Amino acid sequence: MSAHPRTIVTGVIGSDTHIVGNRILTMALEKAGYKAVALGALTPAADFIKAAVETDADAILVSSLYGQGELDCRGFRDLCVEAGLDDILLYVGGNLVVGKQAWPDVEKRFLEMGFDRAAAPGTRVETVIAWLEHDFAARDRNAQKEPA
Amino acid sequence: MNAPGSREATRLPLSEKRIPDEVFAQMRAENLARWPTGAGVDFDAAVERHRSLPPHKQLAWVMRKADAERRCLTQPRGGFGTFELQKQLMQVLDRDGHADVVPTTTDSYTRNEHWHLAQKGIEETEKMGRSMLNGYPMVNYGVERAAELVDAINKPAIMLTGTAMPRLTGEIGYAGGYSGYLGSGIAYTVSYIKELSIEEGIRNYQYLDRLVAMYQDAGVELHRRQPGFLTGTNIPPSIAIITCVLDCLLAAAQGVKNYGLEMGQTLHLVQDAAATVVCRELCQDYLRRRGHEDVFTSVTLLHWMGAWPHDDAQSAALISYGGTLAAVAGANSVTTKSTHEAFGIPTPEINAEGLRMTRTAIYLARNIRLDGLPEFEQEKEWIRREVRAIVDKVLEMGDGDVAVGTIRAFEAGVLDIPWSPNRYVKSRILPARDADGCLRILDPGLMPFPRDVLEFNEAKLRRRAEKENVSYGPDLAVSSVYEMAEPIAKLLPDTWS
Repeated sequence: MSAHPRTIVTGVIGSDTHIVGNRILTMALEKAGYKAVALGALTPAADFIKAAVETDADAILVSSLYGQGELDCRGFRDLCVEAGLDDILLYVGGNLVVGKQAWPDVEKRFLEMGFDRAAAPGTRVETVIAWLEHDFAARDRNAQKEPA
Repeated sequence: MNAPGSREATRLPLSEKRIPDEVFAQMRAENLARWPTGAGVDFDAAVERHRSLPPHKQLAWVMRKADAERRCLTQPRGGFGTFELQKQLMQVLDRDGHADVVPTTTDSYTRNEHWHLAQKGIEETEKMGRSMLNGYPMVNYGVERAAELVDAINKPAIMLTGTAMPRLTGEIGYAGGYSGYLGSGIAYTVSYIKELSIEEGIRNYQYLDRLVAMYQDAGVELHRRQPGFLTGTNIPPSIAIITCVLDCLLAAAQGVKNYGLEMGQTLHLVQDAAATVVCRELCQDYLRRRGHEDVFTSVTLLHWMGAWPHDDAQSAALISYGGTLAAVAGANSVTTKSTHEAFGIPTPEINAEGLRMTRTAIYLARNIRLDGLPEFEQEKEWIRREVRAIVDKVLEMGDGDVAVGTIRAFEAGVLDIPWSPNRYVKSRILPARDADGCLRILDPGLMPFPRDVLEFNEAKLRRRAEKENVSYGPDLAVSSVYEMAEPIAKLLPDTWS
């Protein structure tokens, strides 16, 4: 990790109050050395982007547990691009859809929406932190190859 | 949101005092004008309607009866997006589930008072032919439809609305013949909303409690109920009971006479039984001390409120055991879940199955009690001491006013709730499960518990950390969040190490 800790925005999107897993994730991110900007429950999509712009964040981690995440997350990447956050790393995770659906279909739907990773129900924080390390390292390598 | 601005004329300084008649009349007129169906509320007709219901369809009477006969009743949750689906659901729960109390859960738009969105949801549902809402839009359908739902069953009906904004839903449901309403100013505001202050939540529920007192004055006793399960995530008994006592005092101050207290099960039989006894005892104790001599209180335990296992067999065990716990604890009722809990909203049939599983367990355990068991007696004493330390401090901080004391105590962190989404709650307190399976306080945050109480909690949790060879700290709280959802072979391996 670089000298300045990377900044990660977390929150639960939409009209969803399920805060517990998101707070555990935030605690784990801080423990792993990241600067976490925790927006908490019931966070509109626009608030994620506003916080990411204000804090010059490196990633946004969106949680959704109540089934309506599919509606809430539509157009999320476009909002990022409009705000000038073209390359920000975007993860989404939780119980993302209504009822029991096959995970590969759900994952595909969210990746097509522009998320870099989608975490299945039950994904643990260790996995997410490993993804972040991997994805940030890959970006650093790319940045070195193409000096600005 | 809740447009407090429109209520400037009727806004009194915050206090627990009963809202005066003339002010309340004005508040009601403003409230009922917020959506067209509000005009369908006719108080005199509503009083007549309740008087015409047989006692066994009146929840206040049913809860008193259950208490007198030491019965443990069953009540599920349930809400669908259209009238027809809702009616069918309530009938299945009544007839096939033998539910003693039949619920109507409202949808999330209604909970947030987004009635125009709920209206679109109803239209979409009719167009698509399947429910697009996660509950019943009580306000949009109005009083007459609510009455039809109550008429479709032969049990009392209760509104389950998971909201800090109950004023219009409560008016319409009660006017339609619903005789119970679950929700309270402290518990739901700290659990279901981020931006609404606890003061606004308390004010909203003072309205509902005052409405129930108005029915009481007209000779109709309605049931009010407090959701002490809070955020549903490892709430230690004392934290639940502290909110039960405070919400109960606020309701009594408005004139409520029939009040239920709810707690999520810890899943430790002795701790749940102790919590049930102490909850009833301390609510009555504080009620009497503050001059409320004639308030009936019942206690309800709720099936596990945390994360559920994905395995039907494991879930079935939690359901049945939850019935056993409630019966042994002497709870007046138990609120049930189903084997679909991990996947979302159950079908009516699976919901009814959860009711029958629970009912069978209650039957088997109906006369077992723990009185005299040393662990039970000790646990009760620890819970009493935790509750009294905080409630006494809150009352002191309010200079005798529960509403004022509550606000000041949350600001100071004297009152705190684990895992709360609300901005006005510090949420520094962290609970975890000890080696025996009891919920304990890992980090009290700023709550002023006595030193020896905290030492007891810590010793219990250190024993778990040692036993499992993990560090003593927040990780214990985190692993306790996931514990009940873990595969059983991990929790209790069938191989020798």
